[in-house]
Amino acid sequence: MDHAQFRLVIPSQTRYLNLVTGLAKRASLVAGMDDAAAAKVSIAVDEAVTNIILHAYHGEGDHSVELELRFTSAALEIHILHAGQGLRQDQVVLPDPKEYIRHPRKGGLGLLLMSRFMDEVRFGQDSGSGRNECCLIKKIS
Amino acid sequence: MSDLSIEVHEVDGAAVLLPAGFINAHTVRDFEEAMEALVKAGRYTILLDCRHLTYISSAGLGAIMGLIETVREHGGDILLSNLQANVFAIFDTLGFTQLYRVFGDQAQALAAIQPQRQA
Repeated sequence: MDHAQFRLVIPSQTRYLNLVTGLAKRASLVAGMDDAAAAKVSIAVDEAVTNIILHAYHGEGDHSVELELRFTSAALEIHILHAGQGLRQDQVVLPDPKEYIRHPRKGGLGLLLMSRFMDEVRFGQDSGSGRNECCLIKKIS
Repeated sequence: MSDLSIEVHEVDGAAVLLPAGFINAHTVRDFEEAMEALVKAGRYTILLDCRHLTYISSAGLGAIMGLIETVREHGGDILLSNLQANVFAIFDTLGFTQLYRVFGDQAQALAAIQPQRQA
């Protein structure tokens, strides 16, 4: 399975979230992770795709989100590509959980979950297509 | 099977909400509406029995966070029980297990709030 990869393209609609989280979980298990790690990857993917649908595409359902899964011997990489409003790495501000608990409010937790559950989270542009990209990496321990 | 179904029961005078399935951006509105309906009806002590909840994303956490101050201002609380391992991991990772009281099962949770409901 070294360096295998495949792609899935979904419409930018939340009804397909469960499809991609299910795929992410199964892919994580195939990559060699245990159930707990696989569940974390699936949540991180849910958060990333939700952000794209709701924020990059502003909830418009007629766009597409492409997921590319890359299996290496050391990690599972999930590259999520879209043509909506991009998020740059320097725009990422993670909330302080302690502050969040002192002043409960809606929103702001998705990026924090992604960063806590994955070994690496990167935002940028795909050099080939020019689309915006969120890259999630989970090492296989 | 639907993505999310929600049952609401009255147990020993407490409102017990049982979500079955998953709570994410697609299903969160149903969950919010169920929670808001309880608060609107003056039910400020709510037990979320999560035995059938397979996962919850930040959308669902936000729905709970959005109501916690309201229920506490009215002397109530939102309690959690029967969290599956991956659901507990989400709450714990974010430090929410310090914000919410988490119980192993429904009976323990109801026993903990008994004095509160008698007050």
